[in-house]
Order: sequence, then C-alpha cells, then structure tokens
Amino acid sequence: MSDWSSYRLQDLIPFTQEVYLRLLQRVSEDTWPLQIALLVLGLAAFALALAHRNRLALIFLAPAWICSGLVFHLQHYAELNWAAPYLGLAFLAQGVILSLLGLTGVGIDRQKSFGNLPALIGLSSVLIGVVAYPLIAPLAGFSWMQAESFGVHADPTALTTLGFCLVVLRRTALWLASIIPLSGALLSGLTLLALALPWASALLGMLGVILTALVWKTVASARGVSDGS
Amino acid sequence: MTHQYNRRHALKLLAAGLTALALPKAAVLAASTATVKKPIPASGEPLPVIGLGTWRTFNVGSDPQLLAERARVVDAFFQHGGGLIDSSPMYGSAPDVIGYALKRLGKPDTLFSAEKVWSPAGGTTREQVGELARRWGVETFDLVQIHNLTDWREHLAALRELKAAGKIRYIGITTSHGRRHAEFEQVMASEEIDFAQLTYNITHREAERRLLPLARERGIAVIANRPYDGGNLIKGLKRRGKQVPQWAVEECGCKTWADFLLKFIVSHPAVHCAIPATTRVEHLNENMRAGHSPMPSAVCRERMARTIETL
Ligand SMILES: NC(=O)c1ccc[n+]([C@@H]2O[C@H](COP(=O)([O-])OP(=O)(O)OC[C@H]3O[C@@H](n4cnc5c(N)ncnc54)[C@H](OP(=O)(O)O)[C@@H]3O)[C@@H](O)[C@H]2O)c1
Repeated sequence: MSDWSSYRLQDLIPFTQEVYLRLLQRVSEDTWPLQIALLVLGLAAFALALAHRNRLALIFLAPAWICSGLVFHLQHYAELNWAAPYLGLAFLAQGVILSLLGLTGVGIDRQKSFGNLPALIGLSSVLIGVVAYPLIAPLAGFSWMQAESFGVHADPTALTTLGFCLVVLRRTALWLASIIPLSGALLSGLTLLALALPWASALLGMLGVILTALVWKTVASARGVSDGS
Repeated sequence: MTHQYNRRHALKLLAAGLTALALPKAAVLAASTATVKKPIPASGEPLPVIGLGTWRTFNVGSDPQLLAERARVVDAFFQHGGGLIDSSPMYGSAPDVIGYALKRLGKPDTLFSAEKVWSPAGGTTREQVGELARRWGVETFDLVQIHNLTDWREHLAALRELKAAGKIRYIGITTSHGRRHAEFEQVMASEEIDFAQLTYNITHREAERRLLPLARERGIAVIANRPYDGGNLIKGLKRRGKQVPQWAVEECGCKTWADFLLKFIVSHPAVHCAIPATTRVEHLNENMRAGHSPMPSAVCRERMARTIETL
C-alpha cells in the first residue's frame, strides 16, 4: 500500500469537531466585544470601497489581519495545530501587505463601475464575510459564541478580504493580496470538511466562486477590458 | 531515578513475579471480572490488555472545560485498573493534557506511560524524551517508541542508551494503517526491541500474516492501534442499532460491540494491548469492560470476523 494513498483527510487533522467548536467559542469569549468594533471597521471599509477610496479601504483591513493572526492563530489555534503558528505569521504578513498596497497605491484598481462580475462577486463576498458569516454557526444550530466574525476568526476575515481584493486591486497586486487569504481559507475549508462541520461546503463553494472571479478579472485585465486600464 | 519511581518499578516487578507464578503457560485468559493482563515478554511484567490512545481525542489545548473532561476519562481509566496510555509529540497538546490529568489525579502504580519520538532525530532523541517527560510530569517513561519508524536507526541507538541508563524501561517501534510493513518486519527481525505497535482490528488483519507470528517468535509485545479503525467500525455498528449476536454473548462474553471488537483483538495470542481512544467516560467504561474475561476462542474469533464481513 503506498503511504499517501492510505491517508484520509481525517488522518491529518489532529483534533475533533468538539475541540474546534470550543476553539471558536473561546476566541469569541476572549475578544468580546471587539467583534462589534471590527464589524464597524469592516462596514466602514465597505463604504470606502463603494466611494472608490480604495487605498484607505485596504488600510482599514490591515488591523483585522493583525488581530486575527494574533488572537485566533497565535494565541489559541497554535495550541492544537502545529501549522497554526505559521498561519499566524502569514496573517501578520498579510496585514503588512495590505497596508503597503494601501499606502503606496500600487496595483489599485481605478475603475469607477461595479457593473462587472468580479466586482459584484467581490462586494457580495464582503457582505457575506462581514454580515452573514457570523450567522452561519447559530443558524446551523450552534451557539452564538461559536459564531465566527470578521477580524477575529480566520475564515470570515479571509473571505471579506478576498472580496475587497476583487473590487479594489488589479493584476499582480490582486494576486499578491489574495494568495494568503485564499490558501488560508482553503486549508480551513478542508479542515471543516474533515471535521464534518456543516458549513464546510459553503466556504469551499465561496472560494471556488472567488477563484473564478479572480481568474476572470485577471484575464479581462490582460485583455484591457473592464478593469479601468 | 526517583524514590517514587523505584517503588513503582519494584511493585510492578513484584506483580510480574506473582502473575508469572499464578498464570498457566498461556498466561492470560483466566475467568474473572478483573481486567485480563498479559505478561510483557521482555520482563514478564503484566500489562492490562486495554489501554488508552490519545490521538485527536486528547488534543484540547488549555481549554479548562475540555481539560476537566479528559481528566475524568483518565480517572475512569485508572478506576478500571487501566495501565498503558499512549501519546506522541505529533498529537498536539495531548502530552500536556495527560500531564494535567496526572497532576490532578496522581500517578497510580498501574500507569504504564508510553510515548514516542519523532523525526528529525538529528541528535534530539534525548531532548525529545526529556521534553515529553516534563509535559507528562513524570521522571521517566515506561516505554518510548519510534513513531512510524522515522529516523529509526539514530533513535534506536539513543533509546538503547537511555534504557541502559535506566531512563526508560522498554523500547518500541510503531506503524499504522498497514504502512511500511516490510521495513517494520525487518526491524522486528533484526533489532532488539521490546514492543511493536501496529494497526490490527477485525477488518484490518494484515498483521496476522507475518508481523504477529514474528512478534511471538522474537518475544516482542504487540500494541494494537486503531482498534476501531479510527472510530468508523464501532460507530458504524452502533448506528445500525443491531444487538451483538446471541452466540457471541454466550460463547465469547461479548455483551456490547465494544466487547466484540476489542476482545477479538486482545484474544490474539500475539497481541498484548489494544489502545482505543475516546473523549467520553461512558465509552471508556465500555472499552475497559472488554478487557474482562472470558475471551473468545480461536474458533469463536473466526466466527466473529465472518460476522463482520457479512454486515
Ligand atoms: N503510528 C502510530 O503510532 C499510531 C497511529 C494511529 C494510532 N495510534 C494510537 O492508537 C490510538 C487509537 O487509534 P485511533 O485513536 O486512531 O482510533 P480508534 O481508537 O480506533 O478510534 C477512536 C474513535 O473511536 C471512538 N470510540 C472509542 N470508544 C468508543 C465506544 N465505546 N463507542 C463508540 N465510539 C467509541 C472515539 O470517539 P468518542 O470520543 O466519541 O468515544 C474515537 O473517535 C491512538 O489514539 C494513538 O494513541 C498510533
């Protein structure tokens, strides 16, 4: 039997569903009521993006990554998963990347219309990440304290940021700012799948749509269509 | 070596001597409600046939609620006279969680601490063992195993030195899911080891062909991991909602599916201990009861295997 073919996804996840749900809960308890401030921050960034203040919107996102990297990954998840410290560092790096892109203006999308598919998917992802994601766990029958929120828990932070990237960035910068949220959320989606959490497929589905939109925007950008170039 | 360790060690050897005197040649399956023990070939020390695994189940970090729940599982394990607890540096916070439970409950004489070393060895074997002992809050380990044969030559040399210095009592190697059996067999055949841990359960019987006979021939104690195939086996059987067949109740003493699956494993003459992992005291209780005699005969075991095949 070849070594790798004998592994199942579950064999690679070193904790149980119960422990992961408790992790979500403990992170919420330890940060409450920071969630409210981060929700306001996320909505403010959304308003800035709608007002085409793209650089400022990116700068508004950076604290969410720093907070989630520190609290979710480094402070809590690192106790359970050897990969979490690396993810935590990647989250901090993402905070720096977003700040630098915002400060320098490199790769900012200057188009004024939201009437294209990537932008619409981007705006929807932002709203899903900031507003709808915290409702998923309670709607799936889990407690409010197990709700995941933007800027605290990893997945809504990644989803929201990917949405912003689709709206405010283009070309190389678009991918530079997307690679960490995309890979982090993909790993997380697979973890949720292995733990049989009901929202695993929703997260992975969203990532599929976002990836398609990223490719779409890149191709359109290369052709000089609808990206303001 | 601490005074406490000396006492524990002496008691274990005394118990080993008494067991060796009291038991017939086959040494195990006397009818009683106490947990069956099998003598470790290297020493004759009796080992309860049901141990406790900790992969996934004991990785709970510093969560106070889950720490208290896992301590209750360990407490129940000791109440049943449980011995072997198996962990690994690859199991996240599990060694710390065992340490937490042992600090809370104390270390009973029955405790048989089993840890593992992992790659890269790179001269770190001693360091790894020392760090794990600190996490468990123990002076020494009863057994240190080389996890999945990683860097086994280097680890084995270092573990031998630790054993000679009295820092560990037994040395072992592990594999699982039927992986690397050829290399495992080669190490079993050519090296002086006390324990071999491998996957063996009613649906994964590959080890019966070569590894289990070799273990008997070489006097190596066998620990069976994944006794429930990671949980699928027992949860699947319980979900079906069917009772254990009446013949298994009457002939093999199997009242529950836990009995059925675990007794099948530990009644193999080459197997010394099965290590189901659990997060729940009621499951632990069920698992520990499977270690009571009577145990199924060879004929009965085949019937059990056929029954599972037809499900
Ligand atoms: N290479 C290696 O060295 C290696 C590899 C694999 C495993 N191991 C060792 O072997 C141990 C056992 O293997 P494993 O943990 O993979 O799998 P396992 O023991 O076959 O199955 C564990 C699962 O069974 C469930 N369970 C236990 N008792 C039950 C009962 N009475 N009724 C219903 N469900 C029950 C547990 O869920 P609940 O929490 O709900 O009870 C848990 O999810 C590991 O923990 C580890 O220590 C070593």
